[in-house]
Amino acid sequence: MPEGVIVGGWSYVIAAYSITAIVLVAYAWSIHRRGRDERGKRGRHE
Amino acid sequence: MRVVWSILAKDLLLEWRERARTLSVVLFAVVTLLLFSFALGPDVEALRAGTPGFLVLALLLSSTLALNESFRIEREDRALEGLLMRPVGSMAMFYAKALANALLLTLLAPVVVGLAVVLYSLEVGPPALAGLVGCWALGAAGLAAPGTLYAAMTSRLKTQDVALPILLFPLVVPVLLGSVKAMDLVLFGDAMNQLQSWVSLLLAFDVIYWAVCGVLFRYAVEEGE
Amino acid sequence: MNVRRSLAIAGLLLLVVGTYMGLFVAPPERHMGEVQRIMYVHVPSAWNAMLLYTFAFGFAIASLWSGKPEWDDRLVGAVEVAVVLNALLLVQGSIWGRATWGVWWDWDVRLTTSLVMLLLFAGVLTLRRMASAERRAQWSAVATIVAFVDVPLVYYCVRWWRSLHQIQSSPETVDPAMVIPLRLNAIGILLLGVAWLMARAAIEKARRRRDEAPLPSRVIVKETAHA
Repeated sequence: MPEGVIVGGWSYVIAAYSITAIVLVAYAWSIHRRGRDERGKRGRHE
Repeated sequence: MRVVWSILAKDLLLEWRERARTLSVVLFAVVTLLLFSFALGPDVEALRAGTPGFLVLALLLSSTLALNESFRIEREDRALEGLLMRPVGSMAMFYAKALANALLLTLLAPVVVGLAVVLYSLEVGPPALAGLVGCWALGAAGLAAPGTLYAAMTSRLKTQDVALPILLFPLVVPVLLGSVKAMDLVLFGDAMNQLQSWVSLLLAFDVIYWAVCGVLFRYAVEEGE
Repeated sequence: MNVRRSLAIAGLLLLVVGTYMGLFVAPPERHMGEVQRIMYVHVPSAWNAMLLYTFAFGFAIASLWSGKPEWDDRLVGAVEVAVVLNALLLVQGSIWGRATWGVWWDWDVRLTTSLVMLLLFAGVLTLRRMASAERRAQWSAVATIVAFVDVPLVYYCVRWWRSLHQIQSSPETVDPAMVIPLRLNAIGILLLGVAWLMARAAIEKARRRRDEAPLPSRVIVKETAHA
């Protein structure tokens, strides 16, 4: 192994990927919910 | 051009009539400077090293006060609509307002810089003093252009006191960095000849935003269709 | 609707494959070891956030130019998705910094610029929420243009202010096994981002329609109240 390599580090990788996944899923869910609300409101008024 | 001057003259006249208001901005800047000194302890050396930062922060904080005020009179009398109705043009109005704000902020320089010289026992000659005031003026111009544009919008909001700083502060990061660095070089020597690049950064910011905001001001004050 | 859904599904598939390759197929980097795998989501987030801000800038100009409210719908979609990616970018960057530099935050050019950028565009969304309906489109466009113009200025001044920065990592200089997951994730996030942009624009359009059209029920209630 060459000098100066960072050993381990999987925990950082897992943390970064998990946070990314959580944020993306949360945003997708928020978009979905807002879209559903908006369709619901329009349906009620018509 | 003449229109710009006439609105500017009107604003400055009003500013003069309400001296108390203008004075409160000056007082605010002075108090801010004092508070920074207290917050950073009585170590004169440390205070002296921080002078550029304190000066620019004092300018930045008092600018929101001045900018928030600058559309108050028009809003109260609904005079903004009146001015827009006449063939004055929003662009002329923007430049008049922005010039008035830039002037007002620049006028703080002698007081606040003078106070800093006394408080932090800075040993500066007239050229360095002129340099400091110059950096201050460039910074004030940089704050005034986007500040006037945003103040025109936020003055219509109930939340204007919060809205203006959260919009303006991130935007003027280059102004802050540029004027702090430039003042630092003026005060403590410029071994690597960097002053010119910081001054040109400030100038670039000023030119870009005075142009862009002048064009966009119309959309900030006029009703959409 | 169908375009949006297929974009989202394609994006998701690319992301899954890209992430799998980034995590398990690509070799660890010579100096940074496994930590380098953060790059496979970090760099695509950065690219796409910048791209979406650029879209937003284009939409803002189109919105002011044409006065058509559809451009404003797209504008809010682009800014919102970009802000989400920008926030992710900062968190990933911070984790990356902790692993490589040993600190959660460093005043590195790109990290600092992306923080200022996030604050700038979060400001646009805040202003939008505070604005009245008839001014919302114009104000959002003005604030977007003003914020976008600031980004290069911030970048250069932070760079001069603190000249510590990493060498730009371009895909040409790294192992092909590293390029593929990077590209897959970049395109995946792009497709997903565009799908979200469209979905968000559709929501905004629906809201606008609802605000514009006076509701018959509401009118009746008002009249009875007066009588």
